[in-house]
Amino acid sequence: MPYRVGFDVGGTFTDFVLQSPTGELTTAKRLTTYPDPSAACLAGLDQLTAAVGWDEIAQVVHGTTLGSNIVIERKAQGVGLLTTRGFRDVLIIGREKRYQVYDLQIEKPAPLIPRRLIGEVTERVLADGSVRTPLDEDDARRAIRELATRGVTTLAVCFLHAYRNPVHEKRVAELAADEAPGMVVTLSHEVSPTFREYERTSTTVVNAYVMTALREYLRGLGAALKERGYRGRLFVMQSSGGIATAEAMERYPVRMIESGPAAGALMAAAYGELTGHSDLIAFDMGGTTAKLALVENGRPGTTTAFELHRVNNAPGSGLPMNIQAIDLVEIGAGGGSIARARLGVIAVGPESASSTPGPVCYGRGGTEPTVTDANLALGYLNPEYFAGGTMTLDGAAAARAIAERVARPLGLSVEEVAWGIHQIVTTNMELATRVVSIERGRDPRALTLVAFGGSGPVHGCRLAQALGIPRVIMPVAAGVTAAIGLLAAEVRFDVARTYMRRVDAVDLAFVSAMYDDMTRQAAEVVRESAVDGDVVIARSADARYVGQGYELTVPVPAGALDAAALAGVRRSFDEIYAARYGYANPSEPVEIVTWKLSATGQTMPIRLQRARYGGEETDGSRARKPDRRAWFPETDGWIETPVYDRYRLAPGRSLRGPAIVEERESTTVLPPGVTATVDDYASLIVSVRP
Amino acid sequence: MTGPDPITLGVIWGALQSIAVEIGTTVHKTAYSEQAREGQDFSVAVFDPAGRMVAQGPYSPGHMGAMSFAVKNALAAHPIETLRPGDAILLNDPLLGSGHFPDFFITQPAFHDGALIGFAVNILHHTDVGGQRPGSQGVVGIFDYFQEGLRIPPTKVWRAYEEDAAVVGIIAANTRTPDKVLGDLRAQRSALRVGELRLVELVERYGGDVVSGAMDEIIARTEASMRAAIREVPSGVYHFEDFLDDCGPGTDPLRVSVTVTVDGDRMTIDYAGSSPQTASGMNSYINYTRSYSYAAVKCLADPFGPMNEGALRPITVSAPAGSFLNPRPPAGGGPRAIICYRTFEAVLGALARALPERVAAASSHFANPTFGGWDRARNRRFVAYELVLSGTGARATKDGCEAMASAFNASNIPVEAQEANQPIVVERFELVRDSAGPGTFRGGCGIRRDMRFLADDGKLTNLSERQTFPPYGLFGGKPGILARTLINPGPDEEIVHGKASREFAYGDVISFQQSGAGGYGDPLARDPARVLDDVLDDYVGIDAARSDYGVVITGAGVDLRVDEAATQRLRGTLKLPDENSSKK
Repeated sequence: MPYRVGFDVGGTFTDFVLQSPTGELTTAKRLTTYPDPSAACLAGLDQLTAAVGWDEIAQVVHGTTLGSNIVIERKAQGVGLLTTRGFRDVLIIGREKRYQVYDLQIEKPAPLIPRRLIGEVTERVLADGSVRTPLDEDDARRAIRELATRGVTTLAVCFLHAYRNPVHEKRVAELAADEAPGMVVTLSHEVSPTFREYERTSTTVVNAYVMTALREYLRGLGAALKERGYRGRLFVMQSSGGIATAEAMERYPVRMIESGPAAGALMAAAYGELTGHSDLIAFDMGGTTAKLALVENGRPGTTTAFELHRVNNAPGSGLPMNIQAIDLVEIGAGGGSIARARLGVIAVGPESASSTPGPVCYGRGGTEPTVTDANLALGYLNPEYFAGGTMTLDGAAAARAIAERVARPLGLSVEEVAWGIHQIVTTNMELATRVVSIERGRDPRALTLVAFGGSGPVHGCRLAQALGIPRVIMPVAAGVTAAIGLLAAEVRFDVARTYMRRVDAVDLAFVSAMYDDMTRQAAEVVRESAVDGDVVIARSADARYVGQGYELTVPVPAGALDAAALAGVRRSFDEIYAARYGYANPSEPVEIVTWKLSATGQTMPIRLQRARYGGEETDGSRARKPDRRAWFPETDGWIETPVYDRYRLAPGRSLRGPAIVEERESTTVLPPGVTATVDDYASLIVSVRP
Repeated sequence: MTGPDPITLGVIWGALQSIAVEIGTTVHKTAYSEQAREGQDFSVAVFDPAGRMVAQGPYSPGHMGAMSFAVKNALAAHPIETLRPGDAILLNDPLLGSGHFPDFFITQPAFHDGALIGFAVNILHHTDVGGQRPGSQGVVGIFDYFQEGLRIPPTKVWRAYEEDAAVVGIIAANTRTPDKVLGDLRAQRSALRVGELRLVELVERYGGDVVSGAMDEIIARTEASMRAAIREVPSGVYHFEDFLDDCGPGTDPLRVSVTVTVDGDRMTIDYAGSSPQTASGMNSYINYTRSYSYAAVKCLADPFGPMNEGALRPITVSAPAGSFLNPRPPAGGGPRAIICYRTFEAVLGALARALPERVAAASSHFANPTFGGWDRARNRRFVAYELVLSGTGARATKDGCEAMASAFNASNIPVEAQEANQPIVVERFELVRDSAGPGTFRGGCGIRRDMRFLADDGKLTNLSERQTFPPYGLFGGKPGILARTLINPGPDEEIVHGKASREFAYGDVISFQQSGAGGYGDPLARDPARVLDDVLDDYVGIDAARSDYGVVITGAGVDLRVDEAATQRLRGTLKLPDENSSKK
């Protein structure tokens, strides 16, 4: 098996992982470069592959938040929008609900396209797909020319009910090619063929908005790889957790808008598989936020209702996008989350000290105590070995800030407050964990937690205890695990079409033909990605009781779509509905709104290297570092706690809490009562007594 | 007497809040009617065993103040000792609930080991509950609420998790839209069940005593927080007056007169001097008047603090019995939603002098028309509901928002959702140029929504406002333009009165053109670059830039510029007369 490379560009760091033919992993980390992140990528790749020839590398997989950054910084130029006449303000109007009910100073997110670059065209299609007003081609040509005069080089087109009948959108694309050669056009029915015009327009506009920059970036990167002698294709991680070729992403860049978190969830799934656990919660806690995702049968769940850049995580405050995205809950709970005394209780987050100024203990000007300060005050972090010893933490300053800002106002001790902060932030994450487990009908007591990210292993055991989760996997090298996830991903392409019918009135021949067409489209993209072996097709449908406005996703079995298959779909809908909403209504008619399909193909399976760490040690004596005082409620406070060097723990080694395990990117806290074993891949497998 | 430790309290507080959110999400995702599932015209909350609100979801605040009273009224009729698991009390009586029949309040107790641990509560605006007009929101020709549909005193609609078929059957028989009403009732039921389950889980985890102790603490601390916030408002007596257009064609304006007294940590809001109750649907029962008065205080004093019964305690709201803001039963109240912006904004207007940095000018008013008739294509009767929301008023340091709900917090109904289910083709949905109230910071624009009805036997019940009295500006900011309603806009257009009940014909277009929101500060002080931006984006025309803002713009097409010298000259001449044409 040849070499494979994954690299993931984050806001602060770019992570690299190289997998050798024997499965051995080499990792590296560099600061992300601005404005051109490919500089760091190429430098890192050169370093990583120095001892390997590029002709030996079979696959390169890339994850990036570049698309998300372009949107958040409103960087793109020359992006315009064409709408049905009378509806130029769809994007600006949005859904109008206040995401903060009582805040008179509320602001809406700035629209990606200013009103001056939005044009209207005379045309109209109705909800049943019939054409009420034919496209006025002269008017369309005029609108295209006018936008071109105003500097538009990328055009989003979103006409009413185009998901039902795209004839006018298609024709406008042809007219644009004629009137403004070189103008890049993206059509709503291709990007997001689903109803509700604001959400579809928003998706299409984001697609247009990131299109040019991502295309140039990916092409540049591809060319640079080719120059180095790489003969394979460049793969990109999508928000859905599947990878696709860079070429496939050029038309649908909105699908790769948030590829970093997706890789993390896949990594968790990969580690779960190694240890024989396929139902998991991926728990990624970094500096600013914590992200939680449910993994079932080895696959992270996905959602089609995704919002980019919410304000304080308030629903409705971000840009809605109809894309398949890993269904993760992100909350403002990270190492940098600020703790305050509010109404006589400790409140933590969502405000964050981020990396600048950072927690008080960083000594970079932070004044408000954070979760990291609390963890330091509890003895969980080693002030001399933070980030592998490249940073020294100021414990006295952290304790002072906790005392002044929180402990004194509440009449509590520093330890009590530090423990309180630790517990409150864990509780906040617990609520988010419930959203991805209990609210999805999954009992956490049957799940395994995979804790990673800089702060994940500090809180993982406590989070598990709070929810009765019996087992926690702490992968080694938690800081670069997302890049490993890139190598664990399947090639995947999703297709969805709206065809609204009652289950008992579905035109089976029509749907079968539609599914055949969708299968062809998706399988082609997957096959293009040089997948050898089978392309797996999974079908599902978004269904609801007739009259409702929101759907639940129900699996559609493989094989011929006949009346019996649809009756089965109906039955599973009732079951899923009752699990989620308390009651089912089996006598009410059900309709299917959107028919979905995903095509996946295996690339090369990830094979993690068995651990070499400390392989010569069996008694663990060399792994032991000096003990440290740490605070646990179970021990009624301070206790001398053994500290271990993660890199010297041999497979098979058992540990018993209280204990602390240190590695470069993170620290694992094992509270009293838990036991942990080092597995063959150097993961800590923790058994938590609830 | 010590409550739970700070950590446990924080955990329970967060959990109660997330239970309220989950009840709301369930209503939203399972509702049937356009106004509930798309417009989110519903509210949800969690109550303690004593019937006090402890947590609310982020929905319409108008229901919230009322909810506190409605639950007490439900429990007065069905004392706690008569409640069993799976029971639920429904009421829609205007005096006991939130002032009109379409709002169904449902209160479901939660028990653990036989002990009451709290209530899950929701309220949802139903499409139609019978009465004179489709949608049950008629203004004209109503002289009491017996004309407005079905009145439900506190009644057990579910017993031991089983629907009471007789009660539900009577409801179904008294609505023009049984499918939607029954579907939405099922959504309310699912949501309450989910809330009940979560409450039980919470008590299983922490124990009933701990949870109920935490609930006491939450309410007490919220009250303390609100009192502290009110203490920061300069004490004094503040008065404000504004008018609703009328209560139907040919009637007089309705005076909203408010006196807000801030006294240390208490606030009194009194509507003495407001118009008497009307022989129309235009009456706001006291719970509804209270709701938006509370909401206004909350916005100004403690917007980010928690919302529960504790936040209401320091505030007293009163209106003379027999006034249209505290009518005596059986006064009509179907269309009372249209009144809420005025009570809310009257309180804001009164406190503007005390809190100039925190207030906003008046928002553009929403329209809430209902329609009925025969849907030719689907071969059935239809009732449709619309919410035409527009921009919000300008603030001390920034413009108002475009297209954002104000006091009445709801969403619009997507064009594609409305058209998929109703005999409606929306012809336009857009911001109106030159509608926003000018100011140093301008208000949000009015919105225009034109709808063509492919229906026979059409009945429009218009519910629009600010067609006579525009949304006020503040501190020199100007009011927005007036709203209007037209049938068949164009050469043969016909003006429709804002409260008219009338017929329409197959193919008619009804156009709702909403008022613009008020501005804040002198428009002549607005940065000319911002005026130019507004012109480039077509929010403001070149003529209005000159007449409203004193900004002279030259050039053509995309190449527009501010003529600085001419602007300076013009602004110099405009400053002299016309000192203060806005309210305040």
